Amino acid sequence: MTTDTEECGCPDYAMSRRAFLGRLGTVGALAGLTSAGLSTQMAFAAEPYSGDVLVVLSLRGGFDGLNSIVPTGDPRYAEVRPSIRIPQGALVPLDPMFGLHPAMAPLMPWWNSGDFAAVQAVGMANQTRSHFEAMEEMERAAPGSSLRTGWLDRTLGLREIGSAFQAVQMGSSMAASAFRGPSPELAMRSVDDFDLSGAWDANERRRWSDALTGLHDGAPTAVAAPAATTLGALAGAAEMQDAEYSSDARYPTTDLGRALRDVARVIKSDVGLQVAAVDYGDWDMHADMGTVASGWLRDKLGELASSLAAFATDLGAKFGDVTVVTLTEFGRSLVENGSGGVDHGHGQAVLLLGGGVDGGKVHGTWPTLEQDALAGGDLAGTTDYRQILAEILEKRCQGSQMSSVFPDLTSDRLGVVRARG
Amino acid sequence: MATLTRRRLFGLAAAGAGGLSVAAVAPTGAASAADAGSGADFVSGDLNLHLLRRATFGPTPSLKSAVKKQGRSQWLNNQLSPASIDDSSCERLIRDRFPRVNWSIPQARDELEPFSWNLMNDLSIATIARATWSKRQLFEVMCEFWSNHLNVTNPSDRVWDNRQDYDRRVIRKHALGRFEDMLIGSATHPAMLLYLNNADSTKENPNENYGRELLELHTVSVDGGYSEQDMRNSTLIMTGFGVNWRKGTFNYFGRDHYRGPVSVMGFSHPNPNADGYSMGIKYLKYLANHPSTAHHIAEKLCERFVSDQPDPALVDRLATTYLARGTAIAPVLRQLFNSAEFAGSVGEKTRRPLEDLVATLRVLDVRPDREGRQGMQALVWISDSLGQQPLAWSPPDGYPDVALSWQSAGGTLARWNTHLSLAAHWWPKELRKSPSRDLLPRRLPKTHGAMVDALAKRLVFRTLAPPHKQAILSFLGRSASDPLDSDSEAVRGRLDSVVALILDSPYHWVR
Repeated sequence: MTTDTEECGCPDYAMSRRAFLGRLGTVGALAGLTSAGLSTQMAFAAEPYSGDVLVVLSLRGGFDGLNSIVPTGDPRYAEVRPSIRIPQGALVPLDPMFGLHPAMAPLMPWWNSGDFAAVQAVGMANQTRSHFEAMEEMERAAPGSSLRTGWLDRTLGLREIGSAFQAVQMGSSMAASAFRGPSPELAMRSVDDFDLSGAWDANERRRWSDALTGLHDGAPTAVAAPAATTLGALAGAAEMQDAEYSSDARYPTTDLGRALRDVARVIKSDVGLQVAAVDYGDWDMHADMGTVASGWLRDKLGELASSLAAFATDLGAKFGDVTVVTLTEFGRSLVENGSGGVDHGHGQAVLLLGGGVDGGKVHGTWPTLEQDALAGGDLAGTTDYRQILAEILEKRCQGSQMSSVFPDLTSDRLGVVRARG
Repeated sequence: MATLTRRRLFGLAAAGAGGLSVAAVAPTGAASAADAGSGADFVSGDLNLHLLRRATFGPTPSLKSAVKKQGRSQWLNNQLSPASIDDSSCERLIRDRFPRVNWSIPQARDELEPFSWNLMNDLSIATIARATWSKRQLFEVMCEFWSNHLNVTNPSDRVWDNRQDYDRRVIRKHALGRFEDMLIGSATHPAMLLYLNNADSTKENPNENYGRELLELHTVSVDGGYSEQDMRNSTLIMTGFGVNWRKGTFNYFGRDHYRGPVSVMGFSHPNPNADGYSMGIKYLKYLANHPSTAHHIAEKLCERFVSDQPDPALVDRLATTYLARGTAIAPVLRQLFNSAEFAGSVGEKTRRPLEDLVATLRVLDVRPDREGRQGMQALVWISDSLGQQPLAWSPPDGYPDVALSWQSAGGTLARWNTHLSLAAHWWPKELRKSPSRDLLPRRLPKTHGAMVDALAKRLVFRTLAPPHKQAILSFLGRSASDPLDSDSEAVRGRLDSVVALILDSPYHWVR
């Protein structure tokens, strides 16, 4: 059966989210949404999306920004981290204050071309040191409000409903809590893994999807809609699988490398991807984080940098339409502990990569590491991480109504990205 | 009505020619909403089965006969008095394989490495095992309900030593008792006090997390009629309810308690001294018995058992009973299941992922590991991949209970693949299961059509409507009248797939 062009001509094709929810007739019953959350859902953009693909890379466990974007010009740095500090001579110089951990050197071409940047001393209102609470709060991104949805869900809620690949969590079967809420997202361990397990070839795939389609004939919307979305996503994934994928970019053969490679694959397949989320964990370095030359931190930073470099290379011309931002639930403690590691801290470093990034710079306001400039003994946050996200959404992702995505966020922006041309 | 839906679904499912044609699929289901069918077209209208779909984690042939034999009313009475039901085999399973879920907090702290996740993991497995194999089905359904209503995420950082105790002494103890007792139990349990930070809340530095959720989620609800001032007073009243850090048990700390007049929604107290414990208990009783709480709980019960859009008249009647019976839950449930609104709600609810998983295990008669727990452990991983690991919702509001919240494509695909994995006994292999052939009558039906009918009756307790039966026959490449014998592909290589397809269909998805 060929695709019916009638599908595209149908006025429902571009139905707004409001109409979608309205037709389901259960808007009022949306679980867990306060009236504030609901109003987010009621507003919607009028046009199909044509902004950047936003890639949110979550460095779970607490990424140590201080040994990555190293404040080597701050006299206290060497003092508080006597055995684990990155010596100045080993750093890749970035500016008079900061140097880059040498394991991240693979990203220097993008630094030099102005497409890679960092923001130092980024914080959030809730200064909890609990992984669990910090991740929840960071992804809810609505301090002081009773919203229970995630910021990516609210972001998507303002847009037209797009393809099944509009929002994808790649590398995991569960979506991050930033997606929590009524807007659909697709969680997949990998493009190749997203398949009906009973279907071993194209004929079988058709046999199964025809049967599943037939079995949902006349089903209530609450059942028919997810089935239709799933069958659509399966068809899309199958086409990507059949097209196979080759790339000259040299990704590390790790979960992160594979996930970013799949994100690039989805982007280059033009299936309507708008937001991709990828998790990269194991940053909780309480002990034995290693030295500049070897060990845990060096390995992680090396994998991170080479994966991102491969991703940027792989995107080719699409690089101009992609913005990558890293987040972590908190930075690590300023002072090293007795086990050659660092505990949970506060202020973090955010990394930005993409064609629209104002790169080659460490953005933000350095609060210094002086005792009275610290927050609970750790690096303070001088930039609310939501300001960075809001700026990316506004300038790169056709974002408006930031007050409904990030309630009570001030209008301060750092200028980390350029407006999309 | 069905034509449009069908064509649209076909249009989507066919990986069309000409590039990636799947863009913008999401609205399609919705586009057909106006023409969509009713859930009642997919499930048996038999009221015994209706009751079983709602009041248990999934009907089985033996449960169906039991209700028929006892009558709905007697069956329900038994379920509402769980102690009257012999559940020794499930109890033995828990005792033998997961003994730690019965540990007290001190015992857990003595025996476990600090912050170990082992006991929390035991509780996750035991929760699925009980849902699947307990004969006290309504009790287990209510444990699930209250675990979400008074959510304390398991596993999570701060409850490694006490979450099992919360489950045993707060949720399970009062699941069919009085809500007032459960609320007090939760407010005086370290799991809740740590999860919602009341243990950190002092007169100098009040932490509003618990004081707010106590009103918003646990009792009167967000529309219950409280002000921000009420919320702050709620927090102040509860200062002092904390945790003994050395023992990990509940303690009241007079030194942390705020003193001075307080009032919340008509409750007021001069609160003159540091002994605020008895005032706190009075406040909790007041909240449990507040009409807004009655309404909130009645509405959530209706949402659980009747419809995603509860009938206000039924909610009002249940709320009245709740108050008249001193917050006792069983009378409210009895009234709910006997109501005309319940009887009229056939097909209006859907199964969430965990309910789908457990109903599948039950109807396929999957049994626990012969020894050990590998297979049961895998069920927790499966529930996670479906998006609903029991007790694991991380915000304090509990898993959502309406169909609209469970529309994800990844979750749907995981459900479909799980059906096949369980039907074909691919994984978890450690769980015991008979071959799918045993789902069919010993004497094989004579035709393919009769086989599909027989299998559907066994799995979803009714035959499939003609277009759906046809979908299965097309899958098999057969027509209804084609003869069937023991060499037919339909009962050999394809049987597990047909079982899975029936479970993938709305016949199993609708609750």
